[in-house]
Amino acid sequence: MAKTIRDPRIRISRRIKKDKVFKVKVKFDHPSFTGLGIVDAETKPVFSRAIPVSFIRNMFVYYGDQLVSRFRMSSAIADDPLFTFKLKAIQEAPIKVVFVDNQGKKWEASKKIKYKN
Amino acid sequence: MKIFYSLIILSLCYVIIFSQAVFAGTVEEEFKIEGLISPASPKALQSALLKKLAVKIIELRLKKTKTGWPVLRLQFDTETISREKIEKVIGEIEDPAGHKYKVHHGPLLANAPLLDEEQQAIAILGDTPEAFPIMKNPITDKAASANRGEKLFVNNCVKCHGFTGNGYGTVAHGFTTWPRQLWAWNNTGEETDGYLFWFITNGRSDMPPWGLILSENERWDLINYIKTLKNPGDE
Repeated sequence: MAKTIRDPRIRISRRIKKDKVFKVKVKFDHPSFTGLGIVDAETKPVFSRAIPVSFIRNMFVYYGDQLVSRFRMSSAIADDPLFTFKLKAIQEAPIKVVFVDNQGKKWEASKKIKYKN
Repeated sequence: MKIFYSLIILSLCYVIIFSQAVFAGTVEEEFKIEGLISPASPKALQSALLKKLAVKIIELRLKKTKTGWPVLRLQFDTETISREKIEKVIGEIEDPAGHKYKVHHGPLLANAPLLDEEQQAIAILGDTPEAFPIMKNPITDKAASANRGEKLFVNNCVKCHGFTGNGYGTVAHGFTTWPRQLWAWNNTGEETDGYLFWFITNGRSDMPPWGLILSENERWDLINYIKTLKNPGDE
């Protein structure tokens, strides 16, 4: 688990051909906490609020100017998640991912799609 | 008459000031505590606090507090110690796992208001994904249906899910994720039927939408068979 948040990174294949499906991998080092802890062991174990809740709540994928996908998440998301999804190469345009966490903070990453001849 | 009223007001002021001077020394205050994350945390906080400060712990309430945060109620002398000093000391104490405590201030921000970008995206793509319908398995003869389902399973599912349903089928190597272990559905109630039917019909990730390939009855047969699969390790 990353102690600090690191900007998201995108990895794509270098051999993308027009109208073919390609895989996109997005890595984001972001800790995830439900904010709860078991604190009362003497009677019946109960969860209590222990630390502020923190998780990624949305990921948006843009291909060119178009919003193509939204990933909606909860506090069950893993620490430092890796997202993999597929897109069809319909244009030579940048892919942009935008992350928003539950505190309303935003992170972005983008990568250009270039066809291999 | 004016003198009489002014005397009464003066005496009232004197009583208020005098009572404050008498009781100003000892106060009871509440602190919302962050960092109580393990069963050992409350005890460690209380013992460290008593060692470091001349305070009396009235109560450390972990459950059913107004804000949801654990509340520590302390009695202390304001002439010898201040609230700021207590907060500072609490912030310096570590629990047995090495986490630091902190006094919480302000409201709990569990979910900030949606950003403009999020609102625009929701307007385009919708707020919630399509929910799966609650369905009832229409097949009554489960044994015969499971037999039919076994043949369908061997012909369609085994290459990815494996003969035993362990998820290590021959062509599953190289998938984004390994297919699920199907014996997880063994002995599950009828309420899972609708979810399984929706999942098989629409597919997900590397699994194709079987609704385009198999008929409705065939999908129910498959579900009835999948629910009979058991973990070979349990036998």
